[in-house]
Amino acid sequence: MHHPTVRSMLAGARAVSPIILGIIPFGLVAGASVIAAGFGLAEAIAMSLLVNAGASQIAAAALFSEGAPLLVVIGTALVINARMFIYATSIAPVIVPHAGRWRWILGHPLVDQSYAVTMLHGRYRDDVRVVPYYVGSWLVLALTWQLSNIAGALGGALVPASWSLDFAVPLVFLAMLMPALKFRADVEAAVATGVAAAVLVPLLPMQTGLIVAIVIGMAWGALRHHEHPEPEVGA
Amino acid sequence: MSGALAFWIVIGGLAVGTFLIRSLPLWFYGRARGPEWLERLLRHVPAAALTALIVPGVLYTKVDGAYSPAPERVLAGLAALLVAVRTRNVIATLATGMVVLWVAQAAAGLLGG
Repeated sequence: MHHPTVRSMLAGARAVSPIILGIIPFGLVAGASVIAAGFGLAEAIAMSLLVNAGASQIAAAALFSEGAPLLVVIGTALVINARMFIYATSIAPVIVPHAGRWRWILGHPLVDQSYAVTMLHGRYRDDVRVVPYYVGSWLVLALTWQLSNIAGALGGALVPASWSLDFAVPLVFLAMLMPALKFRADVEAAVATGVAAAVLVPLLPMQTGLIVAIVIGMAWGALRHHEHPEPEVGA
Repeated sequence: MSGALAFWIVIGGLAVGTFLIRSLPLWFYGRARGPEWLERLLRHVPAAALTALIVPGVLYTKVDGAYSPAPERVLAGLAALLVAVRTRNVIATLATGMVVLWVAQAAAGLLGG
């Protein structure tokens, strides 16, 4: 009925539809965090559109409002986003052979959910083209992300401080953490980071404790991973 | 430097940085490979980064730059952790944590705590 490219984009869009509900609260918090840092709707829209990374956006806005130096703000937010490097490395063999002249920009649509549906479903379907499927899934996610950011930016300012809405930020990250704990070494990396963050964040100046804790956790995970390659948790 | 300009520098820096993080492996696919130790280190970024973002916000409240222990938040965080482990659902985790926090704060207020 449709052109194969359009049909594949629609298939990708349909595949992510059940999970967009999960990114709405995250988008609301991300939009509100930019306002909480003292900025307006323009900054919230620009950030969600250009940075395209919720955890980095929330962390950057929070660190900025706490007066951390710009290098610490940008460095921490980029380290948080470094998981996309892993996703890109693993999705490259699936999309690059079909990317043609779009290769240079096909990194931008890479987010947690477009990665998941493309790697788990899209690439195995012989009735769709994988690149438009991947882009189509992202378009739905990006639209949802953008609208929930705007809603969060507009609505977040109306919520009184006594509601402790800032607590929503660690809670959203907590829900995101669970799928990241695939292997035993991941759990150990998380525990090492948690202990380090509990001790170092209040001690070290200018929010540098956060980045030091992340590096300690990564190093611990890499060390343990080396000793016990990939044992599954609960498998 | 004004705060607004500084924030646009952050947006610009992150826009370029996140684009490169996502794109480099696609650009270099089939041409070059990153060193093995780097891949091993990066494998644990998601678990480490997310945990670092959770822990301080659950253990402490921050007033005027000073951290103080927050037992209500710890309680709410543990309840949310239980729900997150069981359901892996963002909305259920968020709702549990916020409701427990509000109840605990109200209870602490009533007890004069």
